[in-house]
Amino acid sequence: MSTVQANKADENRDCAEARAALEEYLHNELCAEDAADVRAHLESCEECSAEHHVGQTLTAALQGACKDRAPEELRERLLASLRAAQAQHR
Amino acid sequence: MPIATLDARRATLDSPAMTSEHADASSAAASSTETSGDAARRDDFAEQAMQYADQLYAAAMRMTRNPADAADLVQETLLKAYAAYGSFKRGTNLRAWLYRIQTNTYINTYRKQQRRPFEAALDDMEEWQVGDAESFTSMSSRSAEAEAIHRMPAGIVKDALQQVPVDFRMAVYWVDVEGLSYAETADVMETPVGTVMSRLHRGRKLLRGLLADYAAEQGIAVEGAGGSKGTTKEKKP
Repeated sequence: MSTVQANKADENRDCAEARAALEEYLHNELCAEDAADVRAHLESCEECSAEHHVGQTLTAALQGACKDRAPEELRERLLASLRAAQAQHR
Repeated sequence: MPIATLDARRATLDSPAMTSEHADASSAAASSTETSGDAARRDDFAEQAMQYADQLYAAAMRMTRNPADAADLVQETLLKAYAAYGSFKRGTNLRAWLYRIQTNTYINTYRKQQRRPFEAALDDMEEWQVGDAESFTSMSSRSAEAEAIHRMPAGIVKDALQQVPVDFRMAVYWVDVEGLSYAETADVMETPVGTVMSRLHRGRKLLRGLLADYAAEQGIAVEGAGGSKGTTKEKKP
Protein backbone atom coordinates (compact mmCIF):
# COMPACT_ATOMS: atom_id res chain seq x y z
CA MET A 1 0.00 0.00 0.00
CA SER A 2 1.40 3.43 -0.90
CA THR A 3 1.71 6.18 1.69
CA VAL A 4 -1.13 8.07 0.04
CA GLN A 5 -3.42 5.05 0.19
CA ALA A 6 -2.42 4.37 3.79
CA ASN A 7 -3.19 7.96 4.75
CA LYS A 8 -6.53 7.74 3.00
CA ALA A 9 -7.36 4.54 4.91
CA ASP A 10 -6.42 6.26 8.20
CA GLU A 11 -8.64 9.20 7.34
CA ASN A 12 -11.57 6.93 6.54
CA ARG A 13 -11.15 5.10 9.81
CA ASP A 14 -10.93 8.40 11.72
CA CYS A 15 -14.08 9.60 10.00
CA ALA A 16 -15.95 6.39 10.76
CA GLU A 17 -14.95 6.59 14.41
CA ALA A 18 -15.85 10.25 14.68
CA ARG A 19 -19.21 9.75 12.97
CA ALA A 20 -20.07 6.90 15.30
CA ALA A 21 -19.38 9.15 18.31
CA LEU A 22 -20.80 12.37 16.91
CA GLU A 23 -24.23 12.24 18.51
CA GLU A 24 -22.75 11.46 21.92
CA TYR A 25 -20.25 14.26 21.37
CA LEU A 26 -23.08 16.66 20.52
CA HIS A 27 -24.90 15.71 23.71
CA ASN A 28 -21.80 15.90 25.94
CA GLU A 29 -21.96 12.21 26.69
CA LEU A 30 -18.34 11.34 25.89
CA CYS A 31 -15.57 11.17 28.45
CA ALA A 32 -13.03 14.01 28.21
CA GLU A 33 -10.50 11.89 26.33
CA ASP A 34 -12.93 10.67 23.65
CA ALA A 35 -14.42 14.14 23.31
CA ALA A 36 -10.93 15.56 22.72
CA ASP A 37 -10.33 12.97 19.96
CA VAL A 38 -13.58 13.89 18.23
CA ARG A 39 -12.86 17.60 18.62
CA ALA A 40 -9.41 17.18 17.09
CA HIS A 41 -10.86 15.23 14.18
CA LEU A 42 -13.56 17.85 13.55
CA GLU A 43 -10.90 20.54 13.37
CA SER A 44 -9.13 18.71 10.57
CA CYS A 45 -12.09 17.20 8.68
CA GLU A 46 -14.49 19.49 6.88
CA GLU A 47 -16.99 16.75 6.07
CA CYS A 48 -17.37 15.52 9.64
CA SER A 49 -17.42 19.11 10.82
CA ALA A 50 -20.28 19.83 8.39
CA GLU A 51 -22.14 16.78 9.68
CA HIS A 52 -21.65 17.97 13.25
CA HIS A 53 -22.95 21.40 12.27
CA VAL A 54 -26.16 19.83 10.92
CA GLY A 55 -26.55 18.08 14.28
CA GLN A 56 -26.06 21.29 16.25
CA THR A 57 -28.47 23.15 13.99
CA LEU A 58 -31.11 20.46 14.44
CA THR A 59 -30.81 20.64 18.23
CA ALA A 60 -31.05 24.44 18.18
CA ALA A 61 -34.10 24.30 15.88
CA LEU A 62 -35.83 21.84 18.21
CA GLN A 63 -35.13 24.01 21.23
CA GLY A 64 -36.54 27.01 19.42
CA ALA A 65 -39.62 25.09 18.30
CA CYS A 66 -40.71 23.54 21.62
CA LYS A 67 -41.40 26.51 23.84
CA ASP A 68 -44.93 25.73 24.89
CA ARG A 69 -46.15 27.51 27.99
CA ALA A 70 -48.80 26.21 30.32
CA PRO A 71 -51.90 28.35 29.75
CA GLU A 72 -52.85 30.53 32.72
CA GLU A 73 -56.15 28.69 32.97
CA LEU A 74 -54.29 25.40 33.38
CA ARG A 75 -52.02 26.84 36.08
CA GLU A 76 -55.07 27.89 38.06
CA ARG A 77 -56.63 24.48 37.58
CA LEU A 78 -53.43 22.76 38.75
CA LEU A 79 -53.15 24.88 41.86
CA ALA A 80 -56.80 24.32 42.68
CA SER A 81 -56.53 20.55 42.32
CA LEU A 82 -53.37 20.45 44.43
CA ARG A 83 -55.09 22.54 47.12
CA ALA A 84 -58.04 20.15 47.03
CA ALA A 85 -55.71 17.16 47.41
CA GLN A 86 -53.99 18.89 50.31
CA ALA A 87 -57.29 19.64 52.03
CA GLN A 88 -58.35 16.03 51.64
CA HIS A 89 -55.07 14.95 53.12
CA ARG A 90 -55.38 16.82 56.41
CA MET B 1 -21.05 2.58 30.15
CA PRO B 2 -21.36 1.63 33.83
CA ILE B 3 -24.39 -0.60 33.49
CA ALA B 4 -24.34 -1.83 37.08
CA THR B 5 -24.46 1.72 38.43
CA LEU B 6 -27.31 2.62 36.15
CA ASP B 7 -29.24 -0.46 37.11
CA ALA B 8 -28.78 0.41 40.74
CA ARG B 9 -30.02 3.91 40.07
CA ARG B 10 -32.99 2.61 38.18
CA ALA B 11 -33.82 0.21 40.94
CA THR B 12 -33.99 3.02 43.49
CA LEU B 13 -36.14 5.04 41.13
CA ASP B 14 -38.43 2.11 40.53
CA SER B 15 -39.75 2.32 44.06
CA PRO B 16 -41.78 5.56 43.90
CA ALA B 17 -45.47 4.96 43.62
CA MET B 18 -46.26 5.61 39.98
CA THR B 19 -49.48 3.73 39.52
CA SER B 20 -52.62 5.00 41.12
CA GLU B 21 -52.94 1.85 43.26
CA HIS B 22 -49.52 2.43 44.76
CA ALA B 23 -50.12 6.12 45.08
CA ASP B 24 -53.33 5.51 47.02
CA ALA B 25 -51.60 3.02 49.28
CA SER B 26 -48.70 5.32 49.99
CA SER B 27 -50.86 8.32 50.74
CA ALA B 28 -53.03 6.23 53.05
CA ALA B 29 -49.93 5.01 54.85
CA ALA B 30 -48.57 8.53 54.97
CA SER B 31 -51.68 10.01 56.53
CA SER B 32 -51.69 7.55 59.43
CA THR B 33 -48.02 7.99 60.32
CA GLU B 34 -47.41 11.48 59.09
CA THR B 35 -45.11 13.72 61.03
CA SER B 36 -45.26 17.49 60.91
CA GLY B 37 -42.15 17.34 58.70
CA ASP B 38 -44.01 15.31 56.09
CA ALA B 39 -46.91 17.74 56.21
CA ALA B 40 -44.57 20.66 55.65
CA ARG B 41 -42.99 18.82 52.75
CA ARG B 42 -46.38 18.29 51.19
CA ASP B 43 -47.19 21.96 51.57
CA ASP B 44 -43.95 22.63 49.81
CA PHE B 45 -44.86 20.37 46.89
CA ALA B 46 -47.17 22.74 45.03
CA GLU B 47 -44.55 25.46 45.04
CA GLN B 48 -41.78 23.11 43.93
CA ALA B 49 -43.80 21.38 41.25
CA MET B 50 -45.47 24.47 39.80
CA GLN B 51 -42.04 25.74 38.77
CA TYR B 52 -42.11 23.00 36.16
CA ALA B 53 -45.64 23.64 34.90
CA ASP B 54 -44.43 24.97 31.55
CA GLN B 55 -42.01 22.12 31.04
CA LEU B 56 -44.53 19.48 32.05
CA TYR B 57 -47.06 21.02 29.69
CA ALA B 58 -44.54 21.16 26.83
CA ALA B 59 -43.63 17.50 27.38
CA ALA B 60 -47.33 16.60 27.61
CA MET B 61 -47.94 18.38 24.31
CA ARG B 62 -45.20 16.29 22.72
CA MET B 63 -46.79 13.11 24.09
CA THR B 64 -50.49 13.73 23.50
CA ARG B 65 -50.24 16.24 20.63
CA ASN B 66 -53.29 18.20 21.71
CA PRO B 67 -53.86 20.88 24.36
CA ALA B 68 -56.86 19.29 26.10
CA ASP B 69 -55.17 15.92 26.66
CA ALA B 70 -51.92 17.66 27.55
CA ALA B 71 -53.66 19.69 30.26
CA ASP B 72 -55.34 16.57 31.68
CA LEU B 73 -52.04 14.71 31.63
CA VAL B 74 -50.22 17.45 33.54
CA GLN B 75 -52.96 17.57 36.16
CA GLU B 76 -52.96 13.81 36.60
CA THR B 77 -49.18 13.81 36.79
CA LEU B 78 -49.08 16.44 39.53
CA LEU B 79 -51.76 14.70 41.58
CA LYS B 80 -49.92 11.38 41.40
CA ALA B 81 -46.65 13.08 42.21
CA TYR B 82 -48.29 14.81 45.17
CA ALA B 83 -49.57 11.51 46.51
CA ALA B 84 -46.16 9.89 46.03
CA TYR B 85 -44.10 12.85 47.22
CA GLY B 86 -43.21 11.05 50.44
CA SER B 87 -41.16 8.59 48.38
CA PHE B 88 -39.30 11.30 46.49
CA LYS B 89 -35.69 11.43 47.62
CA ARG B 90 -34.81 14.96 48.52
CA GLY B 91 -31.74 16.22 46.74
CA THR B 92 -32.43 14.11 43.65
CA ASN B 93 -33.77 15.56 40.44
CA LEU B 94 -37.40 16.57 40.98
CA ARG B 95 -37.87 17.52 37.34
CA ALA B 96 -36.75 14.07 36.09
CA TRP B 97 -38.89 12.41 38.77
CA LEU B 98 -41.94 14.35 37.57
CA TYR B 99 -41.17 13.47 33.95
CA ARG B 100 -41.00 9.85 34.88
CA ILE B 101 -44.40 9.94 36.58
CA GLN B 102 -45.73 11.80 33.55
CA THR B 103 -44.32 9.19 31.18
CA ASN B 104 -45.92 6.39 33.21
CA THR B 105 -49.21 8.21 33.42
CA TYR B 106 -49.18 8.78 29.68
CA ILE B 107 -48.47 5.11 28.98
CA ASN B 108 -51.11 3.91 31.46
CA THR B 109 -53.79 6.36 30.43
CA TYR B 110 -53.31 7.13 26.77
CA ARG B 111 -51.39 4.23 25.37
CA LYS B 112 -52.87 1.22 27.08
CA GLN B 113 -55.15 0.40 24.16
CA GLN B 114 -52.64 0.73 21.36
CA ARG B 115 -49.54 -1.19 22.38
CA ARG B 116 -47.63 0.42 19.48
CA PRO B 117 -46.46 -2.66 17.63
CA PHE B 118 -44.65 -0.81 14.91
CA GLU B 119 -42.60 1.37 17.19
CA ALA B 120 -41.36 -1.67 19.05
CA ALA B 121 -40.56 -3.18 15.66
CA LEU B 122 -38.56 -0.06 14.81
CA ASP B 123 -36.59 -0.39 18.05
CA ASP B 124 -35.57 -3.87 16.98
CA MET B 125 -34.61 -2.93 13.46
CA GLU B 126 -31.06 -3.30 12.34
CA GLU B 127 -29.17 -0.18 11.42
CA TRP B 128 -28.89 -1.15 7.73
CA GLN B 129 -32.66 -1.47 7.52
CA VAL B 130 -33.20 2.06 8.75
CA GLY B 131 -30.63 3.32 6.29
CA ASP B 132 -27.79 5.68 6.89
CA ALA B 133 -28.73 9.07 5.53
CA GLU B 134 -25.49 10.80 6.47
CA SER B 135 -23.22 8.42 4.66
CA PHE B 136 -24.26 9.51 1.20
CA THR B 137 -24.84 13.19 1.87
CA SER B 138 -22.05 15.26 0.38
CA MET B 139 -20.49 18.13 2.26
CA SER B 140 -22.00 20.85 0.10
CA SER B 141 -25.48 19.42 0.63
CA ARG B 142 -24.75 19.14 4.37
CA SER B 143 -24.16 22.84 4.58
CA ALA B 144 -27.32 23.36 2.53
CA GLU B 145 -29.13 21.08 4.97
CA ALA B 146 -27.86 23.01 8.00
CA GLU B 147 -28.85 26.26 6.34
CA ALA B 148 -32.33 24.92 5.52
CA ILE B 149 -32.86 23.67 9.09
CA HIS B 150 -31.64 26.98 10.44
CA ARG B 151 -34.19 28.87 8.34
CA MET B 152 -37.04 26.45 9.03
CA PRO B 153 -40.04 28.12 10.73
CA ALA B 154 -40.48 26.90 14.33
CA GLY B 155 -43.99 25.63 13.54
CA ILE B 156 -42.65 23.37 10.81
CA VAL B 157 -39.98 21.93 13.10
CA LYS B 158 -42.57 21.30 15.78
CA ASP B 159 -44.96 19.62 13.32
CA ALA B 160 -42.14 17.42 12.03
CA LEU B 161 -41.26 16.36 15.57
CA GLN B 162 -44.92 15.54 16.24
CA GLN B 163 -44.90 13.18 13.25
CA VAL B 164 -42.05 11.09 14.63
CA PRO B 165 -43.24 7.94 16.49
CA VAL B 166 -43.74 8.79 20.16
CA ASP B 167 -40.84 6.80 21.69
CA PHE B 168 -38.35 8.34 19.28
CA ARG B 169 -39.98 11.75 19.59
CA MET B 170 -39.72 11.71 23.37
CA ALA B 171 -36.08 10.55 23.38
CA VAL B 172 -35.28 13.51 21.11
CA TYR B 173 -37.37 15.81 23.27
CA TRP B 174 -35.78 14.81 26.59
CA VAL B 175 -32.23 14.98 25.30
CA ASP B 176 -32.24 17.77 22.75
CA VAL B 177 -34.88 20.11 24.14
CA GLU B 178 -34.85 19.39 27.87
CA GLY B 179 -31.13 18.69 27.99
CA LEU B 180 -31.45 15.51 30.07
CA SER B 181 -28.44 13.21 30.01
CA TYR B 182 -28.80 9.80 28.40
CA ALA B 183 -28.86 8.23 31.87
CA GLU B 184 -31.60 10.59 33.08
CA THR B 185 -33.58 9.93 29.90
CA ALA B 186 -33.19 6.19 30.49
CA ASP B 187 -34.65 6.71 33.99
CA VAL B 188 -37.54 8.76 32.65
CA MET B 189 -38.34 6.28 29.85
CA GLU B 190 -37.52 3.20 31.94
CA THR B 191 -35.32 1.77 29.23
CA PRO B 192 -31.63 0.88 29.04
CA VAL B 193 -29.31 3.69 27.95
CA GLY B 194 -28.62 1.81 24.71
CA THR B 195 -32.30 2.01 23.81
CA VAL B 196 -32.29 5.75 24.49
CA MET B 197 -29.33 6.14 22.16
CA SER B 198 -30.92 4.18 19.36
CA ARG B 199 -34.29 5.95 19.74
CA LEU B 200 -32.53 9.28 19.75
CA HIS B 201 -30.47 8.42 16.70
CA ARG B 202 -33.45 7.18 14.74
CA GLY B 203 -35.66 10.02 15.88
CA ARG B 204 -33.13 12.59 14.75
CA LYS B 205 -32.65 10.80 11.47
CA LEU B 206 -36.40 10.70 10.81
CA LEU B 207 -36.60 14.39 11.64
CA ARG B 208 -33.83 15.23 9.21
CA GLY B 209 -35.72 13.31 6.55
CA LEU B 210 -38.99 15.11 7.30
CA LEU B 211 -37.30 18.50 7.33
CA ALA B 212 -35.51 17.68 4.08
CA ASP B 213 -38.90 16.78 2.57
CA TYR B 214 -40.26 20.12 3.67
CA ALA B 215 -37.23 21.97 2.32
CA ALA B 216 -37.59 20.12 -0.98
CA GLU B 217 -41.24 21.17 -1.19
CA GLN B 218 -40.09 24.73 -0.68
CA GLY B 219 -37.66 24.29 -3.54
CA ILE B 220 -34.55 24.00 -1.40
CA ALA B 221 -32.78 20.86 -2.52
CA VAL B 222 -31.22 18.96 0.36
CA GLU B 223 -29.89 16.13 -1.71
CA GLY B 224 -29.50 12.79 -0.03
CA ALA B 225 -30.40 13.99 3.46
CA GLY B 226 -33.07 11.36 3.95
CA GLY B 227 -36.05 12.72 2.07
CA SER B 228 -39.30 10.94 1.42
CA LYS B 229 -37.66 7.68 0.36
CA GLY B 230 -35.82 7.37 3.65
CA THR B 231 -38.84 8.14 5.79
CA THR B 232 -41.21 5.88 3.85
CA LYS B 233 -38.76 3.06 4.30
CA GLU B 234 -38.70 3.63 8.05
CA LYS B 235 -42.45 3.87 8.41
CA LYS B 236 -43.01 0.55 6.65
CA PRO B 237 -40.43 -1.86 7.95
